[in-house]
Amino acid sequence: MGREVSESCVDSLLTEMVSSYCDRFYANKPELAARRIEAIGFQVGHQLSERYTMERPRFSDNLEAIKFICKDFWSELFKKQIDNLKTNHKGTFVLQDNRFRWLARMSIDPSSEDGDLSQDNSAPVTENKAAQATSMHLYFPCGIIRGALSNLGIPCAVSADISSLPACSFVVRIKA
Amino acid sequence: MQFFGGSEISPSPPAPTASGNNAHMIYVFNRNGVCLLYREWNRPLHTLNQQQDHKLMFGLLFSLKSLTAKMDPTSAEKGNLGVPQLPGQGCSFHSFRTNTYKLSFMESPSGIKIILVTHPRTGDLRESLKYIYNLYVEYVVKNPIYTPGTPIRCELFNTTLDQYARSIA
Repeated sequence: MGREVSESCVDSLLTEMVSSYCDRFYANKPELAARRIEAIGFQVGHQLSERYTMERPRFSDNLEAIKFICKDFWSELFKKQIDNLKTNHKGTFVLQDNRFRWLARMSIDPSSEDGDLSQDNSAPVTENKAAQATSMHLYFPCGIIRGALSNLGIPCAVSADISSLPACSFVVRIKA
Repeated sequence: MQFFGGSEISPSPPAPTASGNNAHMIYVFNRNGVCLLYREWNRPLHTLNQQQDHKLMFGLLFSLKSLTAKMDPTSAEKGNLGVPQLPGQGCSFHSFRTNTYKLSFMESPSGIKIILVTHPRTGDLRESLKYIYNLYVEYVVKNPIYTPGTPIRCELFNTTLDQYARSIA
């Protein structure tokens, strides 16, 4: 698969996409922006999975498909595999990436310098805003995973967990 | 003279030849004179308030660059006042030294000025300044949350910079 594109271009494009949807198209409506971004991810994942499974036989079960996402699919997208895969054997999988490429350069304001807010309230407020800003950038990869799995015949719901940057986990819940 | 390098953070940091805290402070300005970053590691004397200090520094460098270009005995062309040039093109000033400190300066083609004040016996810091510029590109420009033109508040950049400053010869 010949053609290549600069990674900086892709990073900048994704940053601008999130910022356009959050600040301009759906300003003050983060849920709508999130759904739109996730829908874009869905389309992208759908097409990418078509491309990367071209020469493979059909997957025998859900676990095989998830393993494909963790190994080959993730390598094509992020040049590395998922570091840790956990399952409860009842349709929930947790994919953990210890250094998610699209979050590797994200860092938040180290100190809130608002003297106006009272000491008790300022810390959770800034943490909340930072967490929200970060989570906006994760809707796109969640959509990609959902789109890829749905193209393989596995309808599911995907969410992200960012308790420890730059590691992040994607929780996949397969619909019965 | 090629300005941009290749891979992750490039060029790789120049090998440290001496140990210890040689770097005193760093300023980063953008094209419009906004001070994007000021960090100090060792500055016993503060004479002006922050705003005046930044304005003074920016004004000084603007004038110095213009003066050095006009006094250049080797070139006949006038050049454009205030326009950033590719490093190595035209006449560019890169450091001055007093008996107590050395000030090193670098301006990128996009107008980002990096000023590093260090110990007087420090060698040529052009490679170090280029490395710091690469850190800026990687951790600030590519940070999805950063808005260009605003003061830098990125923890990753600050930590990496502090770590690197400690290793400057």
